[in-house]
Amino acid sequence: MESVLAYIVTAITALAFLLIAVFTAKAIKFEGGSNPKDPRKRKAWFWVLAILNPIISFLVGYFFFMPDGNVLIVNKYKTALIIGTGVGFLLYIIIGFVLSRIFKNGKLGHWF
Amino acid sequence: MDKLFVISIGGTGMRCLESFTHLCAIGMFDNQEIELLTLDTDQTNGNKARTEEVIRLYNRVKTSGAVTGGTPNANTFFSAKLNLYRFYTNYAGLGRENYKNISKLFTGSPEQQKANKLVSDLFLENNSVQEFNLSHGYRAQTHLGCLLMYHGIIEAARSIAKGGDVQPQERELEAFVNKLVQAGADARVFIFGSVFGGTGASAIPVIPKALQDFVKTRSAGTENIDLTKAKFGATLLTEYFTFKKPDDAQKSTKDDSIIADASFFPLNSQAALQFYQSDPTVQKCYKFLYHIGWPLESKNVDESNPGNKTITGGSNQKNPCHIAELLSACAAYDFFTREDGFETAKAEYVYKAVSFKDNCFNFSFNDFTGSTNKAGEIFANRLGAFFSLAHISLTKNGAANGNNGIKGFIVQCENQKLTQYSTITDEECKEINDYFKQFAYTFNNDIFLPGWLYQVRNTVAPGTFMFDGKAFPTAPSELKKLDVGTIFMDAMHHWPKGGFLTDRYGTFVERLINSGPAEKQKVNTTKEKFLAHIYNAITTSQNFTLN
Repeated sequence: MESVLAYIVTAITALAFLLIAVFTAKAIKFEGGSNPKDPRKRKAWFWVLAILNPIISFLVGYFFFMPDGNVLIVNKYKTALIIGTGVGFLLYIIIGFVLSRIFKNGKLGHWF
Repeated sequence: MDKLFVISIGGTGMRCLESFTHLCAIGMFDNQEIELLTLDTDQTNGNKARTEEVIRLYNRVKTSGAVTGGTPNANTFFSAKLNLYRFYTNYAGLGRENYKNISKLFTGSPEQQKANKLVSDLFLENNSVQEFNLSHGYRAQTHLGCLLMYHGIIEAARSIAKGGDVQPQERELEAFVNKLVQAGADARVFIFGSVFGGTGASAIPVIPKALQDFVKTRSAGTENIDLTKAKFGATLLTEYFTFKKPDDAQKSTKDDSIIADASFFPLNSQAALQFYQSDPTVQKCYKFLYHIGWPLESKNVDESNPGNKTITGGSNQKNPCHIAELLSACAAYDFFTREDGFETAKAEYVYKAVSFKDNCFNFSFNDFTGSTNKAGEIFANRLGAFFSLAHISLTKNGAANGNNGIKGFIVQCENQKLTQYSTITDEECKEINDYFKQFAYTFNNDIFLPGWLYQVRNTVAPGTFMFDGKAFPTAPSELKKLDVGTIFMDAMHHWPKGGFLTDRYGTFVERLINSGPAEKQKVNTTKEKFLAHIYNAITTSQNFTLN
């Protein structure tokens, strides 16, 4: 049960970060000029959030959702949290990539 | 569909043609291939050089690979194909400098010489009119100019008929006239020129007849232009600018013994209008004559002339553009798009009035093109779209300060994974930027140089001139703050605000991403598709309907 909680926390955090990445990309305005920097900014923010996602995900899971139980339960939770963090990171990247392909001519297309 | 021809004569005619070219650039002449003839005595004239350069630039913008000058398109920028021909009456070389020499008054038997002199002296003042240097035009001596302009054209016809050493300008006139003959009754010919100055005022009355006689002379009578069927129209442009009076020192030499005096321009205009009202040849040759005038104080064009001398012509004569010239170009638009009224045997005189309040004019889009067939709306759409694009290129993308302007659009498209325009070269982008500089403005060593539209607007300010006054900033700081989506006075044509997380420019780029050129725009080359694509995105952003 605790393991499921860890996976849910990391998955929700990954999706929340993805949502933040979408908002950030949309909020960065199209620039004029011969060398507009907005695509680079969107890409940079996507990867900054990609790195922050596992860190925040792990810290939130560790400090706010750590179960009160015996060592076995805690260890199981910690293992699930680590795996979930990794999966969350991959989820962020994969969904980000898919969104980038779907909206390749829009602002999200700058992620990849 | 009639075949369109434009003849521009003299300095004023050249500036009218400049305005006409910009009307073509904004896309007012869809699906048309227009033949343009510049006609002057002064081949070094600054206004002529500037206009011809704008036309060449226009053609370079339309050129793609081997397709020189491009092809006619529809509902896009640079939609008309323009073919430029240049003819000038040659007054260079020994024996051609002035009337006395060119008319060979002192040849033939003594009796003939005496008779020639008597006839000449009867019409033309002996020491001044017969002896001033013709290379800078006819200097408001229209009685001499008519004669010499007709002579210049017939001389070219004789030279072509004779063969041998035919001058390039004579060949160009021949090519233009060939197209005119070919068009026959389907030809619509519009002539730009003033009635108050020298060259234009001299040529407008005789041009249809001179071209008819050119055809007859060249073909030894086998070909003709039927002036009752070919449709000729012209501007009767009265005085709207002035310049300093020549002093006695400048008039002391024989070459400059006659210099146009701007203080006589109102009188010249009055006399010319009386002539145009009553002359049977003019009334028979022309279908429509457009009265265009400027009832306020004439604009002094000497601001750009630092010297003390009156500029008689040559490369220094580069007067700024005036709204009267844009109105003349719009008269050509009216003439070319008219569907009826050509059946009359006598010229019809056309004029209109513009709102005048608090000592200034207030121009709306309909004042230029009328509202028939939504012409005013089309003009607003196309001029607004081109002006917005010019600001994006020059202001937002920095072309006015040496940055590569329109290239930014291609980069923008590439960033949005639209790579179909990546083959447009930097040189091609530079040509488009250069056109926008001529159209709107540029900077030279941090000094602001107004282009055509800014110059035209300056002649009306502080009156209203179609767009919001904020659309014409000149200071770099103001230009930096300019919102290119709000150039219209009517908020209905502002680009959408964009709402949450975006701005006007963002919504425009999104429209750019989601639109593209349409088949009915008849665009073939990458550059034409690129311009049509931008045209569509701006048009929908400005809340106009795509045709």
